[in-house]
Amino acid sequence: MIKMMRNIVWNFKKYRFLMNELISRDFKVKYKRSVLGVVWSLLYPILMMIVMAVVFSQMFKFKVEGQNYLVYLMTGIIMFNYFSEASNNGMTSIVVNFGLLNKVYIPKYIFPLSKCLFVGINFLLTLIPWIGLIAASYFGLGEYVCHFNIYFLLLPYVFLCLFIFTVGISFLLSAVSVLLRDMFYIYGIILMIWQYVTPVFYSIQIIPESLQKIFKLNPLYQFLEGARVIVVNGHAPSGTLLLTMGLWAVGMLLVGAIVFKKNQDKFIYYI
Amino acid sequence: MITLNNIGMKYNLGVERDNSFKQTFINILSGKHRKNKKKKEDNFFWALKDVNFHVDKGEVVGLIGSNGAGKSTLLKVVSGVMKPTEGSVQVNGQISPMIELGAGFDMELTARENIYLNGAVLGYSKELLDEKFEDIVEFSELREFLDVPVKNFSSGMTAKLAFSIATIVDPEILIVDEILSVGDIKFQEKSKNKMMEMIKGGTTVLYVSHNLQSIRDLCNKVVWLEHGVVQEIGDTNEVCDHYYKSQMG
Repeated sequence: MIKMMRNIVWNFKKYRFLMNELISRDFKVKYKRSVLGVVWSLLYPILMMIVMAVVFSQMFKFKVEGQNYLVYLMTGIIMFNYFSEASNNGMTSIVVNFGLLNKVYIPKYIFPLSKCLFVGINFLLTLIPWIGLIAASYFGLGEYVCHFNIYFLLLPYVFLCLFIFTVGISFLLSAVSVLLRDMFYIYGIILMIWQYVTPVFYSIQIIPESLQKIFKLNPLYQFLEGARVIVVNGHAPSGTLLLTMGLWAVGMLLVGAIVFKKNQDKFIYYI
Repeated sequence: MITLNNIGMKYNLGVERDNSFKQTFINILSGKHRKNKKKKEDNFFWALKDVNFHVDKGEVVGLIGSNGAGKSTLLKVVSGVMKPTEGSVQVNGQISPMIELGAGFDMELTARENIYLNGAVLGYSKELLDEKFEDIVEFSELREFLDVPVKNFSSGMTAKLAFSIATIVDPEILIVDEILSVGDIKFQEKSKNKMMEMIKGGTTVLYVSHNLQSIRDLCNKVVWLEHGVVQEIGDTNEVCDHYYKSQMG
């Protein structure tokens, strides 16, 4: 066990530079030929937030009783978007990088992991306008004030759980999609359904009581709830909630890693 | 340095057709499922079978054989890209693979960016690349094109850049698949000299080529593969002669 851990750490060190390069490659390719370049990483979420805010709170008149709906909505959107983009990119990462895998020995897990990190960095950038939005609530935006409070220190834990969960599911999906290419399409549909059954722009209170239990089995609900309890309600998340998030994250990572490890030697025959 | 014990590599030919839902579904509907399964059993071939040989430190070993003989597969097994179905590989030392140059290039990026990316793929550290950057640029003769995206390069230019990156360190083991025909005449000469230099420096080389002359020039031992089976191992000229005779009648 200790030897295995040491191996993992050693591997990490050895391939950290490659991981850096892959992530910076993604950035460079993403913003090639665009005038504003990396500024888009900041501008895009701001514009997206404005659009979403107008659509949901002005056109559809959505609101959550007694809470700042704008902050509620954005917290859900940025977290869910992170999950869907990272897991989608992670899923395709093995197939897309086949040219490399076929020629040089590189640990294969690097590809889904680097995608999750790349999207993760983008996610961290979206936190800047998001914090701006919370600050704006002091000046009356969204009716209710969201106070910056001591529990904000727990947010990194919540985001880390989301990240680990996403890495786990990316491992699982990338392994499965190599063997079964249909997964690309199937997962697209799954994501769509997932987005609607996760309370991103509505509150779980509008679901009939009997169904709420089932909705709460959704790990993404737990992550969103964790962040919202802190930011929107200003409470400390309950111990159960914190524990549930951690368990989902570690459990998914284990499942993903095991499936990935079991199948990775076969990848090369399937691409 | 490199030891191959009874290497066997089985390819499943049925694999390609089976990895989609649709096909499985069609098979079930048309009742072919059972039959196909049985057929699949016979539907493989051995790309390598019972390959045994040993390479000592500093040896330059040539691999020859007709197309599809298993040469590239063998290189992939040695470099760790593929796990053999049977047998075991032991490699002591750091490998620098030059199987198809430029595998790690991103065509959208510039030459400068690709030097770092490709270097990282080959397992170099950032410090090493910073230090050797000038040498790489110098050797590739591409200084004016450093900030041009590689997609605008000619194939010769791409190959020159790739060769320069791959050979900038003195690896303990160099794996080379048909690359000395890279670039123009001048660069070919230069790359051959570079190879010779590395060989003299004690690098162990596994070299695949269809150019028998370059095999005769470089190698001190040759392995002749045919249909995944070793036909002959031994003295360069002897094996090359036999191979030539069997091919040309």
